[in-house]
Amino acid sequence: MDEFNDNEIARLLRLKRYEQPPPGYFENFLHEFHRRQRDELLRQPLWRICLERAQSFMSQLDMRSLASYPTAVAAMLVAAAIFSLKVYQQPETARVATQSPLTLSMPVNAEQEWNLASPIGTHSFRTQPVGSFRESAQTHRAAPPRYVLDSVPVSYEATFRF
Amino acid sequence: MRPLSGSKRSAIAFALLFCSGAGLLFAQEQSASAISQQVREIFARAAKAVVKIHGIDEHSEICGTGFFVDPTGTIYTAYTVGGEAGNFTIEFGDKRIPARQLVADIRSGTAILKVDETTSALPIGKSEELEVATPVVAIGYPLDLPKTPNFGMIAGLDRKCLGRYFSTIHLRANVPIQRGEAGAPLLNMKGEVVGIVVSSLENNSACYAVPIEAAEKIRSDFVRFGEARHGWIGVHQFSEAPKAAAGSRVEITQVVEDTPAAQSGIKPGDILLQLGQKKITEPVDVFDASFYVTAGDVVPVTVMRGNEKRIFHVRAALHPDSKTSMLLASPGTIPGAIPMSLDEEASPSP
Repeated sequence: MDEFNDNEIARLLRLKRYEQPPPGYFENFLHEFHRRQRDELLRQPLWRICLERAQSFMSQLDMRSLASYPTAVAAMLVAAAIFSLKVYQQPETARVATQSPLTLSMPVNAEQEWNLASPIGTHSFRTQPVGSFRESAQTHRAAPPRYVLDSVPVSYEATFRF
Repeated sequence: MRPLSGSKRSAIAFALLFCSGAGLLFAQEQSASAISQQVREIFARAAKAVVKIHGIDEHSEICGTGFFVDPTGTIYTAYTVGGEAGNFTIEFGDKRIPARQLVADIRSGTAILKVDETTSALPIGKSEELEVATPVVAIGYPLDLPKTPNFGMIAGLDRKCLGRYFSTIHLRANVPIQRGEAGAPLLNMKGEVVGIVVSSLENNSACYAVPIEAAEKIRSDFVRFGEARHGWIGVHQFSEAPKAAAGSRVEITQVVEDTPAAQSGIKPGDILLQLGQKKITEPVDVFDASFYVTAGDVVPVTVMRGNEKRIFHVRAALHPDSKTSMLLASPGTIPGAIPMSLDEEASPSP
């Protein structure tokens, strides 16, 4: 600081007034704020998020209106249907074990297809190399790129000399 | 011959009016279709030499546009794209290859990058041939969209905007340019590049482009010296003379001691007529003329002293602003911004 006197510091401060954020900063600010807020929320353990959501759902639900006979019957039917579907669609262990490597050995660029032959979905999600996943995860978290275009040309002549 | 009845006359007049209107519409449609065809041809021919530039600066990843100017992979772009970022990669066709910065020059607002590839290139045109209302085409990468042609016309050849003088004439084009298109080539209707888009203007409805000669000067400097070398002869003040002499009103008012100008004999009171190859008629002409002076070169300076015309051959020195380029690298964007040089005050506008 010793090499600057007060006048020079005052001039530097004046110059600072003209500093502007990069283009697109204000357009992206809200989006970035929401993204970071979501990231903060999702940092909690999964069980706690689920618990909080269940609690908030239950607190909004009026239990007295649901405590009627038709509602109870409907709930039972739905539970029975879900249970029966689970029981009848339980895959054989050996079958899954043989199909799993087939799924993984699909070519990287293969079209994504649903295998209807199997009782469970064997959709291959591994259609890209692992590196691409890492990249996309990083790019999702990274700031969006700035598309450059200034509002005034940078070229200017400050003094009258040649 | 029997005279026509009123109703027949009206019918004929209506038919004539209809025919002329239809003819006009047809002609307009033909003309629009001819322009569209021409723009399509230019785009088809030039687009393969236009590239998307990715880089990383201190804030984030940046994206801009550039274009090849020779088959050895030399790329011209705007300073805001290739000037202060690093880790460049170039996207063209289905390739994405690394690039390096050769030179970046804030005074012209341009930067030159290089890839080690054999590439197609845009032919270089002459911006001096442009006039107001000359049609031009720009090709760039707006946002994350594919390369896009933009059509418009030259709206002006400006030396200053919002109170700030440019270091050289800037081409103002009524071409709608979006973010991401900084560094795009501005082409004439022959498909030759005549400028480099450097900024937008008022809601992106128009843009400023640096004339291609400015970028060529920087490339020439780089080839000769390995850097941009702006010249300076040591004249620090010039003003508008009360009366013109040989068509010029530019009077030299201060010559710095022990500078090339002083040593060659130029004196205050001389009326400047020509600097290098550029004729001078008014003070703003000096900016454009002095931009093309290269340090180390001998520059002919023609002046009028009294009634006598004199030519001085001056060997230009390095421009003082070149030595403080780091300070100049953050110009204010507000009209009337104070120059970032700490060693002297900004001179008042003439």
